[in-house]
Amino acid sequence: MTAELDYTVNELVTALVASEIRDGDLAFVGVGTNGRAFTLAVGIPLVALRLAQMTHAPAASVYWGNLLEPDLSSIPDHLRQDSFTNWHAAASPADVGYKCDMLMRRQFDVSFDSGAQVDAYGNLNITALGDYTKPKVRLVGCLAQPEHFAFVPRPIIMTDLSQRTFVEKVDFVTSVGHARDGRTREDWGLGPGGPSIVVTDKAILDFNSPDRRMRIRSIHSGFTLDDVLGAMSFRPVVPDEIPQTPAPNAEQLRLIREKIDPRRVLLKV
Amino acid sequence: MKKKLVSLDEALGPIQSGSTVAIGGSLLRRQPNAAIRALIRLGIKDLTVQTWASTTAVDMLAAAGAIRRYEGIYAGMFGFGLAPNFRRAVQNGEIEVRDFSETAMVARLRAAGQGLPSLPIKTLFGSDIALRNPEQFREYNCPISGEKLLAVQAAYADFTIIHGYVGDEFGNVQWPIVRDSDDVDMMMGAASKRLIVTVEKIVSHDEIKRRPALTYIPGHLVEAIVEVPYGAHPVSTDGFYDEDEAHLERYLQESKTPEGIRAYLDAFAREPASHEDYIAKVGGRAALAALNVKQGADA
Repeated sequence: MTAELDYTVNELVTALVASEIRDGDLAFVGVGTNGRAFTLAVGIPLVALRLAQMTHAPAASVYWGNLLEPDLSSIPDHLRQDSFTNWHAAASPADVGYKCDMLMRRQFDVSFDSGAQVDAYGNLNITALGDYTKPKVRLVGCLAQPEHFAFVPRPIIMTDLSQRTFVEKVDFVTSVGHARDGRTREDWGLGPGGPSIVVTDKAILDFNSPDRRMRIRSIHSGFTLDDVLGAMSFRPVVPDEIPQTPAPNAEQLRLIREKIDPRRVLLKV
Repeated sequence: MKKKLVSLDEALGPIQSGSTVAIGGSLLRRQPNAAIRALIRLGIKDLTVQTWASTTAVDMLAAAGAIRRYEGIYAGMFGFGLAPNFRRAVQNGEIEVRDFSETAMVARLRAAGQGLPSLPIKTLFGSDIALRNPEQFREYNCPISGEKLLAVQAAYADFTIIHGYVGDEFGNVQWPIVRDSDDVDMMMGAASKRLIVTVEKIVSHDEIKRRPALTYIPGHLVEAIVEVPYGAHPVSTDGFYDEDEAHLERYLQESKTPEGIRAYLDAFAREPASHEDYIAKVGGRAALAALNVKQGADA
């Protein structure tokens, strides 16, 4: 064991996500919004994928927007349209129908998704809070998130832990996780899949429990079980022994800070 | 070939209140905002809109009280957050919403493009997007394989409005070699009945003919083509100009109250008699040139 390293939670979860990437994976990363939502949906996934490419998974690749295999060694510095237009990539298919077909044919391995609500069985809501026809809060809709949950074997949910977000039952099931209303995703007609892990600012959760209810997998250094449970509106499965989320090593931190995101554009907030 | 080059008001003239209108563009790219402002000025209302990832186009129409029903994959403001006026109208129960995921919307457009009533997907089993919309989604078993599928209704629109890059007077519209292809405009054009295209620039037919593979909307699909430089402002046209962040911030500021956005629409949509007047109102061509990117209109 080397001397204790100083790292941020963003760096911790970036290294964790990188370790989830296998060589040869094709990962879908969305185009995100701004602020913290951007860090979660775009920043951490892109840095993690680049880190995986530079360490154990050189053949991992990304579908970002409608760019297939964008060059992650030169991620744009700012987010205006022209940076996206001129980002070098292996392919930019004529339209997004191509990506939709690839999704339905199950050609992706990993995706990154966030939501306003996540429930105990991994259903996600990005459509509406309250009643669908006259909602309390109308959200953005759905984009391709239902596709990710339907067809991608290992979707990763990226969401900060809070009681408002982690609810027993989502108000509207945009994307079907492992089960809803007592029926499994297979009962509903979907193939295998559903979210693999939930990456939060306090803990990593998964669905490795007998009925695929959300379970605490590890807790980040500096947080307690009470911190985690206190930030959720439902009780997840709590194993007898909960390990600490593995810390990033010195080489991972060096790559993140010096090579991948030296100006702290992607892991800003 | 028939000449189809007309003014914006002539092009939009046939659109009546109560129509179903498909609107092109995606996120902060190529929203046909000049045409949308003209529809607001003309007082068109009660629309059913079909969109891909819509931002300003749907939000301005919602602010004008012009949308009866929305069908799309996304309505927001991309990096600027939620769509404030769309959100307010939906929360007030003023807009009937039907959400469609990306494979569902692609299937709807392809079905319309092929003259079919529906096409199947395998995506939305168990999702409230399908469960809450039994009129437009129906489960069935494939008569060949027996596999369970979900039919989704074709997206037939009375009118389709797309903002493109360049085109000729016959309505042939081309994309540049380097562009952001994260959209479905080609598909939406192919699915259209009456297609109105605004473009940044009208070029000669000779120029179009040299690279026919760049024509993503052939003139035979097009009812009217209009030259509308900066026609997507305040969002971008990739390869031509970036989004106008200051104007978008102002739009969001004005959108905080119904009175604010009413005054905004008066100033920028209802009072300018033409797109040229709008350009003058936002500082003129010289000011907008600051948004230009390397290739494109002035290259």
